[in-house]
Amino acid sequence: MSCKICSQPIKEEGYCIVHLKAYQNICKKFEAWKKALEVSWIDYLVNISKNSLTGEWAKEVAKYLIEDESRNVKER
Amino acid sequence: MKKYTLIISEKPDAANRIATALDDKGRNTRKNSNGVPFFVAKNGDKEIIVASALGHLYTVMSNTKKGKWDYPVFNYQWAPRWMAEKGVLKIRTWIEVLSKLAENAEEFIDACDYDIEGSIIGYSVLKYACNGKEKTAKRMKYSTLTREELRESFTNLLPHLDFALIEAGLTRHEVDWLYGINLSRALTLAAKNSNNMYATLSTGRVQGPTLKYIETREKNIQIFVPTPFWNITAKISIDDHTFELEHEKKVIETKAKANAIIAACKTKEGQINKIDTKEFQQSPPVPFDLGTLQSEAYRLFRYPPIHTSKIAQHLYINALISYPRTSSQKLPSTIGYSTILKKLSRSTLYQKLTQKLLAQPTLKPNEGSKFDPAHPAIYPTGNLPEKVLDTSAKNIYDLIVRRFLAVFSEPALKQRVKISVDIKWNLFFMMGYRTLKEGWMECYRPYVHYEDILLPLLFEGQKVAVKKVNLKDKFSKPPSRYNPQSLLKKMEKEEIGTKATRASTIQTLYERKYVEGEQNMTITDLGFEVADVLKNYCPSVVSSEMTRKLEEKMEQIQLKQETKQKVLADTIENLKTVTEVLKQKQSDIGVQLGQKIKQLRLNEQIIGKCPKCQTGKLVIIRSKKTRKRFIGCTNFFEGKCNTSFPLPQTGKIKPLTKPCKTCGYPIIKILITPKHPWKICLNLDCSTREEK
Ligand SMILES: [Zn+2]
Repeated sequence: MSCKICSQPIKEEGYCIVHLKAYQNICKKFEAWKKALEVSWIDYLVNISKNSLTGEWAKEVAKYLIEDESRNVKER
Repeated sequence: MKKYTLIISEKPDAANRIATALDDKGRNTRKNSNGVPFFVAKNGDKEIIVASALGHLYTVMSNTKKGKWDYPVFNYQWAPRWMAEKGVLKIRTWIEVLSKLAENAEEFIDACDYDIEGSIIGYSVLKYACNGKEKTAKRMKYSTLTREELRESFTNLLPHLDFALIEAGLTRHEVDWLYGINLSRALTLAAKNSNNMYATLSTGRVQGPTLKYIETREKNIQIFVPTPFWNITAKISIDDHTFELEHEKKVIETKAKANAIIAACKTKEGQINKIDTKEFQQSPPVPFDLGTLQSEAYRLFRYPPIHTSKIAQHLYINALISYPRTSSQKLPSTIGYSTILKKLSRSTLYQKLTQKLLAQPTLKPNEGSKFDPAHPAIYPTGNLPEKVLDTSAKNIYDLIVRRFLAVFSEPALKQRVKISVDIKWNLFFMMGYRTLKEGWMECYRPYVHYEDILLPLLFEGQKVAVKKVNLKDKFSKPPSRYNPQSLLKKMEKEEIGTKATRASTIQTLYERKYVEGEQNMTITDLGFEVADVLKNYCPSVVSSEMTRKLEEKMEQIQLKQETKQKVLADTIENLKTVTEVLKQKQSDIGVQLGQKIKQLRLNEQIIGKCPKCQTGKLVIIRSKKTRKRFIGCTNFFEGKCNTSFPLPQTGKIKPLTKPCKTCGYPIIKILITPKHPWKICLNLDCSTREEK
């Protein structure tokens, strides 16, 4: 099995080592964003995926999570 | 034949200087044998020949049979460099000439630079080229190549070489060689055996951890998620002047809080709450060690560290400055402060400043904490350049002189005024600065820059007009990438490598294509993989901790608390385990590295974007049928584009980065003979082709 985003082997939660680190960082930083702007998870993801300061791997994970979220909405 | 004293220096230009200085009439006779120069001088009734090495003449080399390129390698010997490396045949003649000169010498003196590397150079020449004279040779110790100091050091020779220092140096070379050869071979063979891709891959005891710093930094940048914050500024006006003030909270974490402050500050009037005036001293800078000189030269002129160290070496050889490869920030009084200042007074550039310093009741340098047993901090000898220096050398020389002057100057005295303004119970601040006494800054100009911020006369309780209160959206920033200078600082801080080798380790990372980018060092895909392989299969090698431990051992050898044999036995023991793992995982490693090397090779072949389909890339292709080469579009393989350009069948081809000015097609450089490169635009219809 390979990472949800790239072709590297999975470390945990369906991510390779670098995308896992990016994912964990995204989850960690959401706390600060929620407090600062009272944003929803999805708005947060959209925000960081467009921010030029966000790292490339974090952007890839954010975009993947946005797509994943919209798939879930459709399936429901 | 009359017997003579043979002095060995590190390089020919130093030999020339030493011979001139030791000669009673201040001149020497330059001779040469088979293209190897040496210098004859007369000192009293002594005849002296000063010959030189050419940097390292000897190196560590494997003594296993030729033809077997494998690892692990634990058997080695010290051998002339021409036997171990290609393209250094000159060294063979060089050693022969030194041996010949040694035959008729009755006394031997090592005058190489007084540090680890210099000591090894002198030691190995005396031992191997001069037939075991390292035991009886005497040592010249000096920090500048001025006539006075060289003569003084010749009269007060040290009775023998510094064997503990040499022992430590030999250990470092041997340990580094063992790590370097085994790990580099493991990587190179892994890539070669599993993909048949030949690429020189290297790593080592210092290079490994250094690459890891860049890799870790890059990862932190790539996973970075910015967090928002806000800050608030207020514009106020006093007597028709506008000032910008900052809210006392520099970081406001939530938008709600920020909005609340903005709402509260809706008023036209504020009041000066407090005026806080403080005087403070700014101490002069400390003398330059090599590291601080390199950072300062990077800050001011953007010179990479390796460039600065070369220029400093050049200034040293010309007796303009003291020995630059020092880690000391101390200037002992024995260097003769006032003599140097008086000598510098001969330059109109420095006269005013030196005279002011000489008029001070005492001269006391503001020394830093770092100490080096072999040399003092870098200082000007007082000699003025005999020839016009080129821009880089002039800049570094002037920087070193002004720094030296600043070190002896008085502290600067400054006044800071902090004004707090109350706008509806919110405090805003502004600062004013005034220089009361310039002190050392006068000497260090233009390398210190400051501007006073002057405020009008104000009093507490004074009313001020509030023009505007602004809310600024901000984000936390990712860590910045290393540049060669900041990486060098990191290596210094982590105590890996030595002041003499750090800059060239960084250079190797570029040469191996592990990193790219001059100002923002970015790790390449290949660099990432190499770092990953090392981290996964031999984590101990890239840990700063192991490197630091080894540095400690080296110091203990110098203090005779540890032996070379023990350190080398430990190294081999550790490498046995490491290489076993690397052997076992060879094919995994090969696959991992091979992909990236392939990609790198492909990127190197790319000539430019296809001008027709705009999505494919132009690459050099060799026809399977005719074996002829031409340029084609990568989309050809998918049947989407058939753009192609003919190529001459001989000569090396290099793509140029800038496209043709006339038609915008890519341009290539063809090297049929190296001296006459030929540039052509790929477009057969381009007018630049007809001109030819
Ligand atoms: Zn991944």
